[in-house]
Amino acid sequence: MLARLAENLFWAGRYVERAEDAARMVDVTYHTLLESSSAEVTAPWGQLLDVLHLRAVYGDRPVEPAAVIQFLVLDRDNPGSITTSILRARENARSVRELISSELWEAVNNLHLSLASRDLRRDLADQPYELFGMIRRACMGIYGVASETMPRDEGWRFMALGRVLERAEMTCRLIDVRYQQLEELAGPSRRLTGGDGARPRGADRADFHHWIAVLKSASAFEAYRRRYRSSMDPADVVEFLLLEPDLPRSVVFCLSGAMHQLQALSQGGPSRAVRALGRVTASLQYRDVAELFELGLHPFLDEVQERVADVSEAVADEFFRRHPSGLMHAIATT
Amino acid sequence: MTDLFGSYETGGDRFFDEVFDPEGRTRPHYRALVARLRELNRDDLDRREGIRDRIFRSQGITFTVYGDRSDEGVERTFPMDLLPRIIPADEWGHIERGVAQRVTALNRFLEDLYMGEQAAVNDGVVPRWLVHTADGFRREAFGIPVPHGARCLVSGVDLVRDVHGVYRALEDNLRNPSGISYVLENRAAMTRVLPVVFGRQRVRPVDHYGPSLLRALREVAPPAAGEHPTAVVLTPGMYNAAYFEHAFLARQMGIELVEGRDLVVDEHVVYMRTTRGLERVDVIYRRIDDDFLDPVVFRPDSALGVPGLLSAARAGNVTIANAVGNGVADDKAVYAFVPDLIRYYLGEDPILPNVETYLLWEAEQRAEVLSRLDQLVVKPVAASGGYGMLIGPHADDEEIERFRTRIEADPRGYIAQEVVSLSRHPTLVDHAFEGRHVDLRPFAIAGETVEVIPGGLTRVALRKGSLVVNSSQGGGSKDTWVLDESAPEPEDR
Repeated sequence: MLARLAENLFWAGRYVERAEDAARMVDVTYHTLLESSSAEVTAPWGQLLDVLHLRAVYGDRPVEPAAVIQFLVLDRDNPGSITTSILRARENARSVRELISSELWEAVNNLHLSLASRDLRRDLADQPYELFGMIRRACMGIYGVASETMPRDEGWRFMALGRVLERAEMTCRLIDVRYQQLEELAGPSRRLTGGDGARPRGADRADFHHWIAVLKSASAFEAYRRRYRSSMDPADVVEFLLLEPDLPRSVVFCLSGAMHQLQALSQGGPSRAVRALGRVTASLQYRDVAELFELGLHPFLDEVQERVADVSEAVADEFFRRHPSGLMHAIATT
Repeated sequence: MTDLFGSYETGGDRFFDEVFDPEGRTRPHYRALVARLRELNRDDLDRREGIRDRIFRSQGITFTVYGDRSDEGVERTFPMDLLPRIIPADEWGHIERGVAQRVTALNRFLEDLYMGEQAAVNDGVVPRWLVHTADGFRREAFGIPVPHGARCLVSGVDLVRDVHGVYRALEDNLRNPSGISYVLENRAAMTRVLPVVFGRQRVRPVDHYGPSLLRALREVAPPAAGEHPTAVVLTPGMYNAAYFEHAFLARQMGIELVEGRDLVVDEHVVYMRTTRGLERVDVIYRRIDDDFLDPVVFRPDSALGVPGLLSAARAGNVTIANAVGNGVADDKAVYAFVPDLIRYYLGEDPILPNVETYLLWEAEQRAEVLSRLDQLVVKPVAASGGYGMLIGPHADDEEIERFRTRIEADPRGYIAQEVVSLSRHPTLVDHAFEGRHVDLRPFAIAGETVEVIPGGLTRVALRKGSLVVNSSQGGGSKDTWVLDESAPEPEDR
């Protein structure tokens, strides 16, 4: 397929994922804070900016809840806001209309039109739960329609690849930012990790609320409860979100999914992207969570994020821009 | 129940009405439709209009209008009227033969002009100076071959009906005629919005357009391309007004929709950049104007085109459709000579007459035109889309004087035509049917042979009294049904 269109599908996948993640995380943060006893309501919004990788775009404006929410939901100057993400997803989908099913195009277009026709400011003031619910359902509808109407051709694979790579990075940042925050919150007297890199102890009741929010931010709370029953242990949460092979938003699950698509795309040929992805996946699989705390969770997650970004670069080099002009190597037409 | 046609005015002797004769009787081919519509009330129609709007909006069937203020265009839907236009089989046979005749003659003329000995010019059928001063004439097109001489691979011949109901050709649109996507989408929408009405008629299908176009594109592939030539649609990109149609056509044909940056020319061969390397391209159905096609030959600032494309075409390694330089025959002064070209190249009488056209560099004709500008239509020879026209009977003195000055300064730059009182067709306006002017753009595909798709795009001037039907000027459209009299009568459902 055309390299440009492959790239557009890759990004359409990323943008829809980004919008859905943002909707879910703003929703969770908003509703968690409503119930929070803590007087501190600005810090979580600042951390959400970090998780979504939008701190730099937000700049040194004061981190004030209503302003951050508007920035994340409807700010057209914010390249990562929900409306911008959907607008870009739609532009990308529009450029590949002849490659995707009509149902998929309509699903993306309808979400865009629905956001454009609403009074988002009023919705946010009035009924944010309903708004975020609508956006999340629409994004899931987009995946569902894509999954049920598209053949598993190259186009599908690039879109799926964009989506899981975006999600892997997002979950990584979620764990990283939230863990650091909760560690700070716990204070030096009861650090989450033992002084000599031992497993962190179970969370205090006071922190439960926050750990639940972290899990909900990754749609993983209910699954966590079923797996770990009674405990709410920070180490378990990290293990679950990072290493659980069967959880759709865990980093390992996303990277395995990416590997599945990439292997099909490179058709068993030598591929830098496959090698890069294989290395970062191997650094996580079969890993005991205690080892990660020994290594230091933050530097480890930093490195995982960098490696995942390398994979994206390798994909771009290999599939989207492999023909610097002047270097001609035609292949036989079919 | 109120009759939706209750206060309908037919055109009397001023306009030809498509549905009713001057005595107010329904024409035979409309009887079934009108009877069915008389059973509907306002609420029914409102509901069906609602369904139609949802279909068009959610599918993003839009075109982009560029205003003066912002550089971002506005996406609009092209409103489809609920009432279809119906053409009986014998009438369609006449149109079909007439359109095919024009396209055949124009292909012969263009092939002869750019690849042959220019017989029509040498024999004085068309003045040489006129050809060379036409806006769409491209000397760069000399020697660029098109197999079967199918230089007008797709044409959209605009027809209007005069007060006597005679179909006349108004424009040939031999460069990048658009609108076929609306023909197909209107039909799809119509069968959903008014299924019962549709099911009772024997309407000829239109959905073979994609396969027919692809077949023609393959027929014009260079001989070297072999048995399975690769064809692509070349678009300026998603911000182009007709992008929806470009994507639509690529999808209908199952071929790639490429932009200039996806193509690269090496050693006079065109390739597209794919995820697996470079793939050779044999035929390009381009929806980019000549001037933007190849920055090496035409506008050097064009980022839409492909450097080296024309040399590849001249080398016979790729076919560009429609061919470069077709615009010469879209010049409205050259149009005046099409009936002569038909006689010259085909030895036949024209089946579809032109609209009476005056050539303003001829002193006598110019003098007559200038003396009755208030009765005529004046058009710039190179414009399209209904821009820059003078409609004499609707113009004020100041505007008429402005055109007088322009004509005197540049008589080659304009033509004048008798006003054709375009036929009218009942159209749903504010819950009732009112007469609105319509034209008809049938689409012809030329490969080894010429095929005319049954029906075409009926455009409607939605503003009362307006004669301008262009989509950019507030026009709408109608599904257009060509009846098939050989098909069995459908059962009553």
